[in-house]
Amino acid sequence: MPRTAIVAALLALLCAAAAPAHAAPVDDALAHFTADKFPETDRGIDELVASGAPTAPAVLGALGDGRLLFDPGSHRVYYAEASGALDDAATGARADGVAQGALKKVRLNNGIRSKLAAALGGLDLLSPDRAKRLAAADTAFHTPDPKSLAAIDAALGRETDPAAKAALLQARAAVVATSGAGPEADRLGAIATLTARGDGDALNYVNQAAAAPDASPAVKNAASAAASSIRFTLSLWQALQNAWYGLSLGSVLLLAAIGLAITFGVMGVINMAHGEMVMIGAYTTYLLQDLVAAHAPAWSEASLPIAVPAAFLVAGAIGVGIERTVIRFLYGRPLETLLATWGVSLILQQAVRTAFGPDNRPVSAPRFMAGSFHLGGLEITAGRMWIVVFTLAVFAALQVVLRATPFGLRMRAVTQNRRMASAMGISTGRIDALAFGLGSGIAGIAGVALSQIDNVSPNLGQSYIIDSFMVVVFGGVGNLWGTLVAALGLGIADKFLEPFAGAVLAKIAILVFIVLFIQKRPRGLFALKGRAVEA
Amino acid sequence: MQNHRTFGPRGLVFLAVLLAAAALVPASSLLTPAGSALHLSTYAVTLVGKYLCYALLALSLDLVWGYCGILCLGQGAFFALGGYAMGMYLMRQIGARGSYANPDLPDFMVFLNYHSLPWTWWGFSSFPYAVLMALAVPGALALVFGYFAFRSRVTGVYLSIITQALTYALLLAFFRNEMGFGGNNGLTDFKDILGHDVRSDGTRAALFATSCVALALGYVVAAAVTGSKFGQVTVAIRDAESRVRFLGYRVEHYKTLVFTLSAMMAGMAGALYVPQVGIINPGEFAPANSIEAVIWVAVGGRGTLVGAALGAVLVNWGKTYFTGAFPEYWLFLLGGLFVLVTLFLPQGILGLVDRLTARRRPGPPAERPVAPEEQVLPRPVAE
Amino acid sequence: MDRFAMNRRQALLGASALAATATLGAPRAFAAGETVKVGVLHSLSGTMAISETTLKDVMLMLIDEQNKKGGVLGQKLEAVVVDPASNWPLFAEKARGLISQDKVAACFGCWTSVSRKSVLPVFKELDNILFYPVQYEGEECERNVFYTGAAPNQQAIPAVDYLMSADGGAVKRWVLAGTDYVYPRTTNKILEAYLKLKGVAAEDIMINYTPFGQSDWQTIVSDIKKFGSAGKKTAVVSTINGDANVPFYKELGNQNIKATDIPVVAFSVGEEELAGMDTKPLVGHLTAWNYFESIDTPENKSFIDRWHAFTKNPKRTTNDPMEAHYIGFNAWVKAVEKAGTFKADPVIDALIGVSVPNLSGGFSTVMPNHHITKPVYIGEIGADGQMNTVWQTPGLVVAQEWSPYLEGSKDLIGDWRKPMSCGNYNVKLGKCGGAA
Repeated sequence: MPRTAIVAALLALLCAAAAPAHAAPVDDALAHFTADKFPETDRGIDELVASGAPTAPAVLGALGDGRLLFDPGSHRVYYAEASGALDDAATGARADGVAQGALKKVRLNNGIRSKLAAALGGLDLLSPDRAKRLAAADTAFHTPDPKSLAAIDAALGRETDPAAKAALLQARAAVVATSGAGPEADRLGAIATLTARGDGDALNYVNQAAAAPDASPAVKNAASAAASSIRFTLSLWQALQNAWYGLSLGSVLLLAAIGLAITFGVMGVINMAHGEMVMIGAYTTYLLQDLVAAHAPAWSEASLPIAVPAAFLVAGAIGVGIERTVIRFLYGRPLETLLATWGVSLILQQAVRTAFGPDNRPVSAPRFMAGSFHLGGLEITAGRMWIVVFTLAVFAALQVVLRATPFGLRMRAVTQNRRMASAMGISTGRIDALAFGLGSGIAGIAGVALSQIDNVSPNLGQSYIIDSFMVVVFGGVGNLWGTLVAALGLGIADKFLEPFAGAVLAKIAILVFIVLFIQKRPRGLFALKGRAVEA
Repeated sequence: MQNHRTFGPRGLVFLAVLLAAAALVPASSLLTPAGSALHLSTYAVTLVGKYLCYALLALSLDLVWGYCGILCLGQGAFFALGGYAMGMYLMRQIGARGSYANPDLPDFMVFLNYHSLPWTWWGFSSFPYAVLMALAVPGALALVFGYFAFRSRVTGVYLSIITQALTYALLLAFFRNEMGFGGNNGLTDFKDILGHDVRSDGTRAALFATSCVALALGYVVAAAVTGSKFGQVTVAIRDAESRVRFLGYRVEHYKTLVFTLSAMMAGMAGALYVPQVGIINPGEFAPANSIEAVIWVAVGGRGTLVGAALGAVLVNWGKTYFTGAFPEYWLFLLGGLFVLVTLFLPQGILGLVDRLTARRRPGPPAERPVAPEEQVLPRPVAE
Repeated sequence: MDRFAMNRRQALLGASALAATATLGAPRAFAAGETVKVGVLHSLSGTMAISETTLKDVMLMLIDEQNKKGGVLGQKLEAVVVDPASNWPLFAEKARGLISQDKVAACFGCWTSVSRKSVLPVFKELDNILFYPVQYEGEECERNVFYTGAAPNQQAIPAVDYLMSADGGAVKRWVLAGTDYVYPRTTNKILEAYLKLKGVAAEDIMINYTPFGQSDWQTIVSDIKKFGSAGKKTAVVSTINGDANVPFYKELGNQNIKATDIPVVAFSVGEEELAGMDTKPLVGHLTAWNYFESIDTPENKSFIDRWHAFTKNPKRTTNDPMEAHYIGFNAWVKAVEKAGTFKADPVIDALIGVSVPNLSGGFSTVMPNHHITKPVYIGEIGADGQMNTVWQTPGLVVAQEWSPYLEGSKDLIGDWRKPMSCGNYNVKLGKCGGAA
């Protein structure tokens, strides 16, 4: 396999103290890059590595990053440094005075990218950087190749870091298990190592070990025992994984519904414009991110956290505006709030469409929200995890506001008994406006989080409004804890159903369940008790 | 016998207009030459025919909401089910004239590799059966759904939201191609109804006249129900459900009955709608459509029957006009209209008319006192 | 001196040409009321506004440019824009209004298949022309519709061919993921039949459907990951509809699925959709279209410049359905001039065989099946949100409106030339009117 040949060649390249430069082969190799064709580029990589040119690692690195350029006229190849300066690919010397505009990029496709990753990954097995070694061992595990056994063994001999050593051992086990060769003891050891790893890849390799034509009965037995053990572990982890997915879906539902639990649940406004508040929060995030990127690029990582208070204020202010101009005339006529807020939602959607255009707006993820990590056999994506944490934090903060602040006390007083509260000197109009603003502001905050997982488009709110109403009603109108339990419960139920029923049927089943559940408990999960209910 | 009491002068005018339209519009469309001042184009006929179907839907909604206090946010589901029943009949009438010329299967089943007609489609080549199903399926769904919901005393906003869940679940279900109802593309490209070409002017005029008559019939039935003793009980339920229950009435029976009747009316509206617009697709189940129907009723005047029909025609006419004249801004106009009507015309357009006439002529203010708004929510208690 | 002389000569030439047009054009200058209406039937609100609004804008630009060139047959064109609001019955109503009230000569519109199906009876009944610019599932060939988007064999099958080739990664295991509606269903059916024909085993094909607007992709993406870890090179063929793509790609990025591990080739993701995404985690994933904004030809460059000038927005992207409208509109203009009338019937006949330049440097021809010939490009998503072409068909591909890979349609062809004039001619039975 050429890939392994590259690894070996590059290793040789590094180990050799100072390989004499062969000018001609390097130029021949580089000439392939100027043909602007993928098969030529492929050959160029092989020849470049074989040539042993000292610039080879730099050139390959540049190729992978899209920094390798060529001059279609003179057929010279250059690579750009991070600073933007150009170096000549053949000599590594600074190439000043070359007009960058005339240069063309050497194009990549996935085949070339894989080839480069393997070539550079082979190098990384011996890298002084521990993280790079770990990544290289992981690549070797996922692309087991009998010919890389020597390189892995060489790396194992040098390795001192325990984690890196374990990763290398697993990579070695993968190679041994899939190669169908080697002594029996070696194969049994590999199976044991893979069983300890216990993931889907390990299962796949163990099965391959069992299927090897010359596998002894002992190996076969060990492999089948290992496979069933891994399968059992996997099914346990899968259940946990589903629970995590459910928790994460539930937290999105909760986040979207929590503002509605105030405006609808507590204040009694059937707020069809709730989804648009979420959308406005998401657009605030987008605007803020653009603003930060334009004026303070150093802070761009922080634009998402900054967007949280900003979205709260923007959506909250719009909410107060709506309350003062429309809703306050409709207290005591809850059904009419449905009609008016429906109208408001149409206006807000079209306003955003007119201002920003109908297409999606890009909101990028800050680094701390990108990628995923493993917790045992559980894969947790950072973005989702932060959303779960964020949702619970918002919920907790809301509880504090409602229970421990004078505003919360007054708000509860007004919603429980408006006249009495008014008689006690509470300005009920002001409290109403602020409460509606609070609900809208929280919806805006939800928009910040949703901008990370969904489209930022004028239709964003529409996709959450029905689910939000379901959650609030299922949990019991006027009960925030009910909303919490309902959102998480429905999320988890959905995710446990999905693997069996598929996404659509799972959703239908959940809806039917809500309909049936309401028959059983006509006032939701946590019904309010007492005379107030029948009023 | 007691027509005046049942319908009132406004109702009689409404009926007269409908019946006159049923006779005159087809005549104008078919008998006068195009270009004559009296001629109504096919475009106008189908458009108004469509509005009339919406009006019947609004009427059915007013019957449950205006007179029984059940705010159904899933009325569109009954409308769509009726529409599907008719659509299935029309699909079966295409016969071997589809793209694949398969005499037994509609086109979409051919390319989804069906080999035989699913049982849900059996019998739909018969028109009476399709009409029966257009009434029976929505009716049966409402009967079962209503019986259980009203028996468990699901009221107010809880009921509204579960009716919304119902239509949303049906929307998702009908989107599924496995359901065998054509998935997202729905049923379309109809050819014949009762042996007549659906695209001919004569058929369109006949469908228009049928819609007028159906709306008139719907109105007569709704007015008869609401004007009867039974109707007085439902109004009482709307205004004070618990008291009616304590008086010994089986509230759930009344509600279930009205709900079922209303669903059947909505189903009929859907069945008439489909041949006129030429397509039925799961989009009709969208919760937004049902909310819009509520808005028509509110705009026209809740609890007036005539107002509901009027509201449906007006709002839809506005939509047709605005989407053509101000394609970029029509949502502002429509949204603004909803807000303004709610704020300034709490009793809808008919309420406004009543107020104006009452001011002009002293005497009893409104002919039909508008009910106090029922409390849909429990008095909320913050956590 | 020399250069100056050249320039002056050119300028003189230009001026005389201008004068000539002016004198020629003067008697045919637009008289009041002498306008011909063209319908633009694209949703400007609702769920489809995100895709269709751009098409409305491009039609306004094309009509404006044509008027500056002197209109068609000496008559000025007037665009009639309506908003069918992503509501399918409203599409039918608006189509009827455009044809019977506004008396448009032709309509350019629709995006979803259901909207096309909804207006189809209206176009047939009132005998008008619809130009439909979006890639679709095929299995249709109507006299009144010209399909300027791709049929499945002009997009899906070349994409699969590419992935199966060594260049594309020699893929052995396939995930066909789509939104649950007719286009993905039919495309996946065709692809499944095609893959099996190429020797792919049934257990190496995973088919998954999701509802519209699916936003939670955690389970599905992890299933894809699992399916892809069976040791064979795996690719995802995505017919996921517009809105659901952003969360899908975000989840791919979050779960760390790189294009080098499991490439995704998408048929509904264009430059416009990518403009709404952070594309850095997506680099290397693929799309298949008949046009990319990045295609380097003078025609395309000029088109993009005009588009930016017209919309006064130097960042507006261009995409494949826009090119389809560009081709369709120019073909219509040419056919009207050929027929010498705006009447639908002669124009429909004249359209067949018309060849107009496309934006990728070649010509697209309207074929007797009312579809057009197209080149197919496979592009890689770049960090700048543009597609870099990694592969293209050697020549133009003729559309197969009836797929040879489907049981019901393998014997059908469409040919609207006289004397056949049939959209579903069964070659086996030798008669018009489909199978059986």
